[in-house]
Amino acid sequence: MNIALTKTPAEAAFGLSLPHRRMEDWRWTDLRQLIDQPYPPRVSVKAARSEVERLIKSSPFRKVAATRMVFVNGHYDGPYSKLANGTAAPGIMADEPVLALNDAFATDGAKLTLSGSADTPVELLFITTGAEPRTIATRNVIAVQAGASATIIETHLGEGRYLANSVSEISLGEGARLDRVKVEHEGAQALHLAHAHVTLAKGAALRDFTLTSGARVNRQNGTYVFAGPGGDAKVSGAYLLAGKQHADSRLVVDHRAPHCTSRELFKCVMDDQARGIFQGKVIVRRHAQKTDGKQSSHALLLSETAEFDAKPELEIFADDVVCGHGATSGDLDHDHLFYLKSRGIPEAEAKSLLIAAFVGEAFDSIGHDGIRQALTDFAGSWLTGRRSKR
Amino acid sequence: MNKNDETENGLSVLEIKNLHVKLADEDRAIINGLTLSVKAGEVHAIMGPNGSGKSTLSYVLAGREGYEVTGGSVSFKGEDLLEMAPDARAAKGVFLAFQYPIEIPGVATMQFLKVALNSQKKSRGEKELSTPDFMRLVKERAARLGIGQDMLKRAVNVGFSGGEKKRAEILQMAVLEPSLCILDETDSGLDIDALRVVADGVNALRSPKRAMIVITHYQRLLDCIVPDFVHVLSQGRIVKSGDRTLALELEEKGYAEFAKDAA
Repeated sequence: MNIALTKTPAEAAFGLSLPHRRMEDWRWTDLRQLIDQPYPPRVSVKAARSEVERLIKSSPFRKVAATRMVFVNGHYDGPYSKLANGTAAPGIMADEPVLALNDAFATDGAKLTLSGSADTPVELLFITTGAEPRTIATRNVIAVQAGASATIIETHLGEGRYLANSVSEISLGEGARLDRVKVEHEGAQALHLAHAHVTLAKGAALRDFTLTSGARVNRQNGTYVFAGPGGDAKVSGAYLLAGKQHADSRLVVDHRAPHCTSRELFKCVMDDQARGIFQGKVIVRRHAQKTDGKQSSHALLLSETAEFDAKPELEIFADDVVCGHGATSGDLDHDHLFYLKSRGIPEAEAKSLLIAAFVGEAFDSIGHDGIRQALTDFAGSWLTGRRSKR
Repeated sequence: MNKNDETENGLSVLEIKNLHVKLADEDRAIINGLTLSVKAGEVHAIMGPNGSGKSTLSYVLAGREGYEVTGGSVSFKGEDLLEMAPDARAAKGVFLAFQYPIEIPGVATMQFLKVALNSQKKSRGEKELSTPDFMRLVKERAARLGIGQDMLKRAVNVGFSGGEKKRAEILQMAVLEPSLCILDETDSGLDIDALRVVADGVNALRSPKRAMIVITHYQRLLDCIVPDFVHVLSQGRIVKSGDRTLALELEEKGYAEFAKDAA
């Protein structure tokens, strides 16, 4: 960021520099070019009831019994919410472009301290209504207290041209459990820049899943820090991308304590000219002996012009660890396809079955049946939409 | 070869005439002038050594990619089979029981069977089965083959033993009720008990309306599934046809003698 460059119109509007391709972490997602017009922050937009209600109804989780918190155009909306917002203050600051944007422009976000064990998921629903191009930045601060367990859904929906900047700071206390499910289904013209920072104390368990299917440009950072021994983190994700969509996930799993286990599994489907990127780094610090860390990313390319880039990185400073990574990319298996067709299943339907099975593997880690079903249905309607285009 | 009076007047199901097939991406002929006529109710065994074209014949009939028909014709119930897509052939009644059934992770067996059955029904303009009716049908057919709920809950063929895979193929056949069953080396990899279960399943599906082509290497399968006709395939064509005693003769003398005739 220290290289002197002429400011782009977007940078001028932000008063901040944007990352570009000469920065290693951003080589595939050049925000200087991708943010091609100013998206001024803190623009006040009043949303019509009908717009808000239409968007709430379009959440894939509308049928999942959940305690809802609704954020409209970057502000908590009490009347549409079932849970009052708290007051936790953000803590992390980092020299990272997505965070810097959020530090400067966040207007609101969920501030939750969760104790006990909550059976009902909490859905944080972020809605952007159609208006002039603008930046909507929100920051969530979520603390799951020692011994507590919770399920949190984060849903991002919207219409029109906008830049959504979303940061979640999450801490898990000793022995805490959190299931986090995020669905990024922003409007087709939107940009979505997100950062999740998760800290796990001793014996904490996290299952984190992200489905990326909306927005034309996506960049999602995830940092997972094991601060105490015996932690367990399963981080999974799925992409359903078409057209010229671009999605880049950059994950860092930081093993700072011994006896922790981490698993990353990403299943990415790219059609048309879509481009998916998975960058995963596992750091094992010197004292983090007995670390067990694995990451894998698998891509299914449904057209000749779709693209997938994977960059796995391991930085290991301890000597008694098990770490590994794997990445595959390819098209549908012809033997699978023929077997299904030979039983009378038409080609398009056979393909849909196989694509659903491919992404479905990433849903397996989700413990809540209703949420898993909602995601399966979401993938199903994405596939139906894909078929009807042809 | 059509001397069996009982089936003489049976409806012709499959007519293969002077069929020539080569690999699509290689200049290698696999089937060289094969002619075969199969009528409803008949069970034909095709025997032959490795590389004689047995599996290729089954794949060409089912419509697998990778083969090029360079001559001859195949008609199925009076229509040109080779013009149809694999799913259309299945809907018309062609079923191939694979030598190596394919494992499909993530696709549940029940969902697969239901989509397959209802796709076929839809294609034939029949009413699709409701979920309860479908469940009842599968449970009843599965019980006959000793297939439990546990197997039905798994993904298609995933984690199945060799015997379970073959039983699952026969279950699909029992649910889809095809008019032409092609069994490609259904006995391979089965011990004698598993073979008996599979053969009983196949025999239960024998009917005057259904034709079967049983492709095998060994006589032992034909002790369990007794064919009306036996054909010896060598170098891509049928070199001898007869009744079931031909299989016994083959077992005794081996294929070498018949291979001579093909040259």
